[in-house]
Amino acid sequence: MNSLLSPTQQIPLQDLQPNGNSGTHQAQIHNPQFDPTSSHDDFLDQMLSTLPSCSWSDLKSPWDPPKSDETPPSNPDNNVGFHYDEILASKLRQHQINGGGGGTTAAMKMMMQQQMMLPGRPIAAAGGGGLTMPLHNDIVDGSSFKSPNQQVDVTSHYLNLVGRVPCKLCTTVSVLDLCMGLIISHRTSLSIFTILRHTFFSLLHFPQRITKTLNGLMIHIQLFTSILFIVQGGNMQTQSFGATAGTVMNQSQASGSTTGGAPAQPKQRVRARRGQATDPHSIAERLRRERIAERMKALQELVPNANKTDKASMLDEIIDYVKFLQLQVKVLSMSRLGGAAAVAPLVADMPSEGGDCVQTTAGGGGSLQRNSNGNQPSSNNDSLTVTEHQVAKLMEEDMGSAMQYLQGKGLCLMPISLATAISTATCHSRNPMINKGSSSNHPLLQSNGEGPSSPSMSVLTVQSATMGNGGLDGSAKDAASVSKP
Amino acid sequence: MMNSPQQVKNPSSSLKSRFITRFLGALTKINAEHPISSSSPTRIFQRYRRIKVASNKSMAYSVRSRRIWSRAMLSRFRSRRSAFSVRRSSVKTTNCTTSPPSALIKVTINENKIAKGGLDMQTDELRELVPGGEAMDVCNLLGETAHYIKCLTTQVQVMRKIVDFYHLSK
Repeated sequence: MNSLLSPTQQIPLQDLQPNGNSGTHQAQIHNPQFDPTSSHDDFLDQMLSTLPSCSWSDLKSPWDPPKSDETPPSNPDNNVGFHYDEILASKLRQHQINGGGGGTTAAMKMMMQQQMMLPGRPIAAAGGGGLTMPLHNDIVDGSSFKSPNQQVDVTSHYLNLVGRVPCKLCTTVSVLDLCMGLIISHRTSLSIFTILRHTFFSLLHFPQRITKTLNGLMIHIQLFTSILFIVQGGNMQTQSFGATAGTVMNQSQASGSTTGGAPAQPKQRVRARRGQATDPHSIAERLRRERIAERMKALQELVPNANKTDKASMLDEIIDYVKFLQLQVKVLSMSRLGGAAAVAPLVADMPSEGGDCVQTTAGGGGSLQRNSNGNQPSSNNDSLTVTEHQVAKLMEEDMGSAMQYLQGKGLCLMPISLATAISTATCHSRNPMINKGSSSNHPLLQSNGEGPSSPSMSVLTVQSATMGNGGLDGSAKDAASVSKP
Repeated sequence: MMNSPQQVKNPSSSLKSRFITRFLGALTKINAEHPISSSSPTRIFQRYRRIKVASNKSMAYSVRSRRIWSRAMLSRFRSRRSAFSVRRSSVKTTNCTTSPPSALIKVTINENKIAKGGLDMQTDELRELVPGGEAMDVCNLLGETAHYIKCLTTQVQVMRKIVDFYHLSK
């Protein structure tokens, strides 16, 4: 590295031309590269050839194979160009960190790599390598090539750096500054190139200075060519570059191409899946929703009639089912009080003392009802007629609430024909009760013109069964069978 | 009098079998302590209540503390036992007859506040139904509801079978 940067080195300009392996690459690279600007190519070669001969071989040897890491050379040196490199490197890194668009990024990245390469890389062995490096970068650049404005940022940055170089290069610097200024002002590739051409032509007038500061110039040249390549952008034939890129650049290129438009930004953005956000809050929200959905699915299997797709109706169904099950437990515990003897009095006393326990269940069942209009507690009157009146009242308002009230009491409505069928089919001892119930209800409830859809459903039958889910058919049979003495 | 059934419902130590053993034990105890001969409405009502409580309790004990709802129910039973005589008549919640101030800390869950588009009403209702549901977020609530439904169905099945058995045998 130091050898490269020592001012006394003589860089053979001929080495820039096809020379050795890198040279051949170089030839391949340069020629197609400069095809769009073939004249410029000639110009460059010409310019370089006119420079005093220096030996690039010296530059080659100390350079390691290019690495993709970005640590700048830490070798101290007394070389202006070296400092310049460091300054450039730091500046470019700063610039990179500060942000900028993709194009700028690409340019900066390339510049960075240039910087990285410059001190410690053969950059394809000396100038040829150095010239090839931007070519490698171009492959990346081409993909992320953006507006010239960003290049101008680069160039302006470069200008600033150039301005800081000590005055050994002052003439060249001034010339370069001029050309950079022109570049900025014109912002077209062609004009830039003409400017560069003029610049270099003017440089030729200062051979001595140039020799002394050749390393710096080489750096400048490399940077300029890199800028030039940026400007050329898509015009460059990058395929050949790709061949010569080598593994080092390939890696970075691959990473650059895969990450798309944000290759080397400090904040990597994870590309989200289509239609989903990557925000942690939304991810947590999504997880929560998924968990709830699977719980709902599990519930759907448990609850019958779970063919509802709507979540709200599904929840309603679940709520109803839980209430129904709890009611079943209550009723079953009511009916199973040990032996048959216990049940019979219970059944017999249902109308009489039904008010007692039914009251409480009504109180409890009242809470079952979603609409509380049926929750008027009847008086402590144990008569069944109270229930009948209540139901009749409810029926006038809303059939659903009436049904719910009945359900809360463990009663249900059934057609008269069915009730009579059951009563005659099962046992006779219950008949009086049922008949009494039905007969008393019959005139009362039939007076209601409105009501259920089928007019025959106006009988209030005392049963220990529950609602129409067909739950406690067994208990109905129990009630019927138990009363047999 | 009620005799223990000769048949075992389920030999393995599943939830059902555990519940059955406990419940039958409770039933026999009830029948022993409070004979059925007295047929006054209040006594019958008391008995009914006891049986219901015994059923719920045995189910809760069968589940032990593996579930939030069972834990809540058990804590309710324990605190209720002390104040049983006082609150015999009041019936508020559907599941447990009396609801003394719950020992559970009612935590305001943020998820409940973030309304899921009008489902708050139903979730609140579900919370009332499932014991211990007040302090659960929606996700846990649904899981607890599923297990609670399963336990309730087991309860109902067993009780119905017992009833059938007894009535058939008479």
